[in-house]
Amino acid sequence: MTREALLPFECRQAKISYAGKMTIDVCFQYNDGPIIRENINFGQFPIMLQLSKSIVVLNIYLSSELVQSKLCNLRGADPQKLVSFKEEASEMGGYFILNGLERVIRLLILPKRNYPMSMVRNSFSDRREGYTDKAVVIRCVRADQSSLSIRLYYLRNGSARLGFWLRGREYLLPVGIVLKALIDTTDREIYVNLTSCYNEKYEKGKGAVGTQLVGERAKIILDELRDLALFTRLQCLEYIGDYSKNISSSEVLKAFRLVFKLVVGDTRSQRYLEEGNLPLVGLFIVAHYYYEVAEAVLKDCILVHLDNNFDKFNLLIFMLQKLFSLIDQTSVPDNPDSLQNHEVLLPGHLITLYLKEKLEDWLQKGTRLLMDEIEKKSTKFNFSDIVQVKKVMDKNSSKQVSTAVENMLKTGRLVTQSGLDLQQRAGYTVQAERLNFLRFISHFRAVHRGASFAGLRTTTVRKLLPELVGMTPSLPKIFLPGPPEALTVLLDGCVVGCIASSEVEKVVAHIRELKVSSAAVIPGDMEVGYVPLSMGGAYPGLYLFTSPSRFVRPVKNISIPSNGSENIELIGPFEQVFMEIRCPDGGDGGRKSSFPATHEEIHPTGMLSMAKQTMAFSSQTIQHRADQKLYHIQTPQTPIVRTSSYTKYNIDEFPTGTNAIVAVLAYTGYDMEDAMILNKSSVERGMFHGQIYQTETIDLTEQRGRSDRSSRIFRKSNVEKSAHPSIDSDGLPHVGQMIQPDEPYCSIYNEVTNSMHTFKRKGSEAVYVDYVAVDVKNKKNLQKVNIRFRHPRNPVIGDKFSSRHGQKGVCSQLWPDVDMPFSGTTGMRPDLIINPHAFPSRMTIAMLLESVAAKGGCLRGEFVDATPFRSSVKKDSEGNDSKSGSLVDDLGLLLREKGFNYHGLEVLYSGVYGTELTCEIFIGPVYYQRLRHMVSDKFQVRSTGTVDQVTRQPIKGRKRGGGIRFGEMERDSLLAHGAAYLLHDRLHTCSDYHIADVCSLCGSMLTTTVVQPQKRPVRQIGGLPPGRAVKKVACHACQTSKGMETVAMPYVFRYLAAELAAMNIKMTLKLSDGAEAGA
Amino acid sequence: MEGASYARMPRVKIRELKDDYAKFELRDTDASIANALRRVMIAEVPTIAIDLVEIEVNSSVLNDEFIAHRLGLIPLTSERAMSMRFSRDCDACDGDGQCEFCSVEFHLRVKCMTDQTLDVSSKDLYSSDHSVVPVDFSDPAATDSSENRGVIIVKLRRGQELRLRAIARKGIGKDHAKWSPAATVTFMYEPEIHINEDLMETLTLEEKREWVDSSPTRVFDIDPVTQQVMVVDSEAYSYDDEVIKKAEAMGKPGLVEIIAKQDSFIFTVESTGAIKASQLVLNAIEILKQKLDAVRLSEDTVEADDQFGELGAHMRGG
Repeated sequence: MTREALLPFECRQAKISYAGKMTIDVCFQYNDGPIIRENINFGQFPIMLQLSKSIVVLNIYLSSELVQSKLCNLRGADPQKLVSFKEEASEMGGYFILNGLERVIRLLILPKRNYPMSMVRNSFSDRREGYTDKAVVIRCVRADQSSLSIRLYYLRNGSARLGFWLRGREYLLPVGIVLKALIDTTDREIYVNLTSCYNEKYEKGKGAVGTQLVGERAKIILDELRDLALFTRLQCLEYIGDYSKNISSSEVLKAFRLVFKLVVGDTRSQRYLEEGNLPLVGLFIVAHYYYEVAEAVLKDCILVHLDNNFDKFNLLIFMLQKLFSLIDQTSVPDNPDSLQNHEVLLPGHLITLYLKEKLEDWLQKGTRLLMDEIEKKSTKFNFSDIVQVKKVMDKNSSKQVSTAVENMLKTGRLVTQSGLDLQQRAGYTVQAERLNFLRFISHFRAVHRGASFAGLRTTTVRKLLPELVGMTPSLPKIFLPGPPEALTVLLDGCVVGCIASSEVEKVVAHIRELKVSSAAVIPGDMEVGYVPLSMGGAYPGLYLFTSPSRFVRPVKNISIPSNGSENIELIGPFEQVFMEIRCPDGGDGGRKSSFPATHEEIHPTGMLSMAKQTMAFSSQTIQHRADQKLYHIQTPQTPIVRTSSYTKYNIDEFPTGTNAIVAVLAYTGYDMEDAMILNKSSVERGMFHGQIYQTETIDLTEQRGRSDRSSRIFRKSNVEKSAHPSIDSDGLPHVGQMIQPDEPYCSIYNEVTNSMHTFKRKGSEAVYVDYVAVDVKNKKNLQKVNIRFRHPRNPVIGDKFSSRHGQKGVCSQLWPDVDMPFSGTTGMRPDLIINPHAFPSRMTIAMLLESVAAKGGCLRGEFVDATPFRSSVKKDSEGNDSKSGSLVDDLGLLLREKGFNYHGLEVLYSGVYGTELTCEIFIGPVYYQRLRHMVSDKFQVRSTGTVDQVTRQPIKGRKRGGGIRFGEMERDSLLAHGAAYLLHDRLHTCSDYHIADVCSLCGSMLTTTVVQPQKRPVRQIGGLPPGRAVKKVACHACQTSKGMETVAMPYVFRYLAAELAAMNIKMTLKLSDGAEAGA
Repeated sequence: MEGASYARMPRVKIRELKDDYAKFELRDTDASIANALRRVMIAEVPTIAIDLVEIEVNSSVLNDEFIAHRLGLIPLTSERAMSMRFSRDCDACDGDGQCEFCSVEFHLRVKCMTDQTLDVSSKDLYSSDHSVVPVDFSDPAATDSSENRGVIIVKLRRGQELRLRAIARKGIGKDHAKWSPAATVTFMYEPEIHINEDLMETLTLEEKREWVDSSPTRVFDIDPVTQQVMVVDSEAYSYDDEVIKKAEAMGKPGLVEIIAKQDSFIFTVESTGAIKASQLVLNAIEILKQKLDAVRLSEDTVEADDQFGELGAHMRGG
C-alpha cells in the first residue's frame, strides 16, 4: 500500500503533529563477537518544516545512530511546488507543527562555550565558609553539544576549589587534587606551571599579568595536598574515588555513592561486566576500583570538552592563573551580560541534547529490565539469545522517546533529571503567531535572554552595551611595551601553546589573512579573539574559536591589500571588541593614528521594528489554514516610502497597511488626545477594511462522554426540520451563510440516546461561514470538522490605527467627506486627520519626513528609499556632494519641482464653510496600519444580567456579560465630588441591593423565618379581591414576629453575617429610625 | 434690514467642458453658495449604484462581502437617477426596493473554463435596463477592444465560478460614497495680484529672477524684452505666500499684493462617469433649488422655524 505523503497543511487543518517515523539501529555485541544491528521503531518524531538536514546524528556508547528519519515533504520544493502543496510560495519553514499549531524553538542566550570567564558574584561567597565572591567559570561543551559547567572558586586562604555538577548537584574538590589526579606530575611541575606567567625580574606592572602572590598561592595549593598526605596520582584518584577512607570530604563522596549504588557497588553488574555482555551507558560507570571511578569522574564531569588529561591539566592551570589575576586585580572580571561572552542555543542542538538524554534513559531502563530478568533465574531466560533480549527490551516502550521530544516541543518544557546544564526548564518553544508577516519572521530572528532575566528587576542585564551594536567599548588601551612576554593561545578551550607578545600581532594578522583567503586552511568563520596585554583590562590571550552556535557578521578587512576581491571577513562578538572597525563614511571616527582601522563596516543598516500588533495581509493560503484566529486586511497597499529590508524580506507579498493621505491639523476637536478622524467616504471605498477568520474545530472523538463516542454523528434533527435554517442536512452550516449570535451552526446526533446537540455561536456579532473542512480519511462517518467563520471588521469608531512611527491613535469619528478640508488646487481631501499635538513631545520627526518623502514620491511616481544610515555610506563615483545638507532639503526640492510647497504644507479650505483655513496645513501620504485592537472585541456594556451566586453582585468578565468594576479609586473620586446619590446608585442600587428582615429584639438577621400565612377564606367569600398576602416573618430565636423590621442593605452584608456566624461570631444590628439616627 | 435685497445674479462662465471634466468660473456670489454647490455635487446628487447582491455561487478567491463591495463601487450610468424614486419612498414596491421605478436588476454569470486567468469585469454585468449600465471607460478612439475590459471585479482560475444577482438603486453620496457622482469637486478663490512696479524696479534682474523663482508654481515671469516682472498665470497661485515671504526676506515688503477675490470662484469638477460633468453641475443646482424650496414652502410653521431658524425667516422675507 502506498500511503500518500503527509503534507504540513493537512496537519494544520487536522490539528495533528507533523511527524515522521524514527527508527534507530541498536547494536548488540557479545564480548568481541560480531555486532548485531536491530532496527527499532522509536515512534513519530516531529519534523521541522523544510529542513534540509536531519536533526543531528548521535553517537552514544552503543554507537546507535539516528537513522535519517523521513524528512520534510516540502524539502527542496520551488515556489510553484509549494503552492501546489497549499503552502505560501515564500514558505521558509523552520518551525514545527504540533497539534496543528506552529511552534518555533526560541533561540536562547548561553554563556560562551569553552571560554574560562572570570566572574564576581556574591552568591559564590555564600557557598561555604571561607569562599570569596570570585571564581572562574567555564561552560564545557562536548562534540555532541551536551555541556557541563565547571567553576573554580577562590578561597580566602589562597587556595581554590573546583566545583562540578553531577546529577543536579554541585560537588567541590580541592583543585590540587584534581591537578594531580589528571596526570602524573610533581609538585615542582605544578608550581612552575602556575608561576609561568610571573617573572620576578620585571616586577608588578611591567606587562606581567601575575604577581609574586601567585607563587605563594601555588604553595598553599600544594600544601593542602601534603596535609592530606596525597603525593601520587593514584592516591589522588583514590581520594576522589574512595568514599570509605575519606570522611573529611564527604561532600564529594555522597555523589559517588549514588553512582555506585546504581552501577558499581553492585556485585551483579560486576559479574555481567566479567561476562562482558552488559550494554553500558554514558554516564554510568562500571569499575572495580575507586580510581576507576575517579577516572570516570574526571572524564565525564570535569572539563568535558577535552579528551586528553594533559589538555585538561593545562586548561586548569590557565584557569587558575586567570583566577589569580582576577584576585590581584590585574584583570577585570568578564561581563556575563555582554554579547562578547555569549553564544546561542540552536534548535537542533536543543533537540539533540534532549534526545540524547531520552535515549540514555531508555537504555538505562532497558538495562534494568534485563538485569531484573536475569535476577529472576526461574524463567528460562537466555541472555545470549538476542531475540529474548529484544523481547525484554521491548517492554520498555521505545516510542516514548519521540513522545518526550514532541511534548517538549508542544509545551516548551524540559522534563529532565540533569537539567542539561541549562538555566531554565520551561519556555523553550513559543507559538509562531501569524498576525502579520513581520511578526511571524521576527520569531526566527528574536534571541531570548533567558526566563530568569525577564523577571529581573535590575537593569544591568538590559543595557544595550556598545559591543552589541558593533562598537568598541572604552577599554583601557594602554598597551605596555613590556618585555617579550608569552601569551597563552587557546583553541576552542584547549591550551595549544604560547606566543611571544611581540609576535602575536603579526600572527593575528596572518590568521585573518588566511581566514579571508579562499584557501580553506582554517575555517572562514573562525573567531580570532586576540585580547592584548593591558593592565587592568580583560585577561590577555589569543582565543581561537571554531565551534558552532557563535554569532558572526561580515566586515570588510582593509588591512589586506585587495586584489580585486572584497576581503569580507566574518567576525564574532568576542573579537570585534578588540578590533578597529571604521564606518564607511570616510571618517576615521576619532581614532588615534597609533591604532589605524583594520576593518570597515559593509553597510550599517538596522531592521525596521514595530508592526507587532498590525493587522495585515497575513497569509496567502488562508483557504488552507485553520488558525484559531487570523487577522486579515482586504485592500493592502505597498508603502511608498520603504527601506531596503522591506524589499529584502519581500514584504510586498504580505503588505501591512495603506498609504493614507494624512493632514496634521486640529480640526473638529475629535482628534484630541491621540484620536484621529477618518474620512467616511474613504472607509466606504474600502480603506482599512478587514476581517477576522476564526476556526472552530469540532472533534467527535474528543467530545466528553467516552462511552457513546462511536454513536455520535453529524446530522440535522429529523423532528424539527425547519428549526435551524442555517444547518444543512449533514448537520453542518452552509458556506457563505450568515450566523447570528446564539444561533446554532452545527448539530450532532447521538444514535444511542437519540438526542441532538447543537453548537451555538457565542459573541455579539453576526459572522459568515467561510469554509467547512471535513476529515474524509477517517472511517465512514465524519469525526472531525473545522468550521471557519469570517467576522467582517470594517473600521468603526474606536478601532485603533498606527503609522509606522508609533503614532497610534483611535478613530473617534467617521467624518463625512464633504466636511473634510479640501485643497483648492488639487481638490484633495485627507483620508485621515491627526492632531499636531501628537508630535512635539514624542519627536517622531520620521513621520513628517515620511509624509514629505511620500508626497514627493507620489508626484514623481517612484518609491522612496528610506533606508537608515544611507548617508553614512560613502557615495561612490556619482556622489559629487556627499554632504548635501539635510534630508529635508532633498525632499523639499522634489516637492518644489512639482509646484508644491517646500515643506509639504498646503493651503486648505474648510469643507463646512468653504473659507480658507487660516494656517497652512501639513498634508501628505503616510503608510498607516490597522492594529488588531478593535472595539468589537473590547466593548463591555451591561444593564442587568447574571449575578454572583454568593454575593449577588454583578459578575465580572466581558465574555460572560459581566459589569465593569466600579473600584476603590472610582469610589474615592465620587466621594471627593460629594456625589452621594450617584455613589449610592453605583455601589448599592445597581449592585447587590437587598431588603433584609431584621429582628429588632435580638438584632439578628439570620434567625428570621417565613411563617406560612393562614388561609383566610372569609375574605374571599366577601367577593373582595384578595389583599396582598403579607409575608409574615418571625424571628426564630425570639419565637415572635413582633420586632421584625425590614432594612435595605447590600447583600454581601448578610453574607458577612453568615460567614461570621460560621466562625461562632454573632453579629447584632441595632435598629433605630431616621430621626434618632440624626440626633 | 427690511426690504434690503441681498439677491445677486451669479454668473457662470464655462472654461472647459468634457464628458467627465468641467472647469468654470462662478462670479458675483458668496463662498457659502460656492461651497454649497461643491457639497451638493459631492454628496447629494443622486446616482445609481448596486446596493443589494444575492450570491448564488462564489468559488472565487474573494469572499462574498468583498465582491459585493466591489460591485457597489462600479459607476453606473445614472442619467435616469434624477427621475427615479428612492426605494424607501417608492409606493410601487412596498419598500422592498425591487420594482422598475426604483431599481435596476443586474446578472452576472461567469465561469472560467480555460487554463488562463479570466478577468471578470463590469462588462460581464447584464443590466435589465439598457439606460443603466456600467460606465464604459474605453476610449472611443482606441479600436483595440481587448484593452478595455471595464472595471475588474475578480479574477477566476480554471473551475472557479461566480454567479449572482444584483439590485442597483438610487442613492446619494451622503449615504455611501458609492453613490457619489463626483471624483473631485473643488474651487479656488480667484486671486488678484498687484505688483508694486516702483518697488520692483529697485530690484536687479538677478533679484527679480530669484523672486520669480521663489514661487513653486509659475505665477510670475520676466518679460524677455522689457525685463519687467509680469503675471503669467494668476490662477496658478496657490495662496502659499511664498513670494510674499521672499519679498520680505529680500527686504522689500509690499513688493506684491495678493488678494483673494471673495466673490469669484474657479470650479473644477471631475465626474466618476456616472453622469456627465455638465449634468452634474446642473443637477446640483437643481437639488440646491429643491432644498431651498423645501425651506421656502415650509411656511411659517413652528417646525420649520425649529428646523431652519433664522434662515427660514430670512427666506420667507426675501
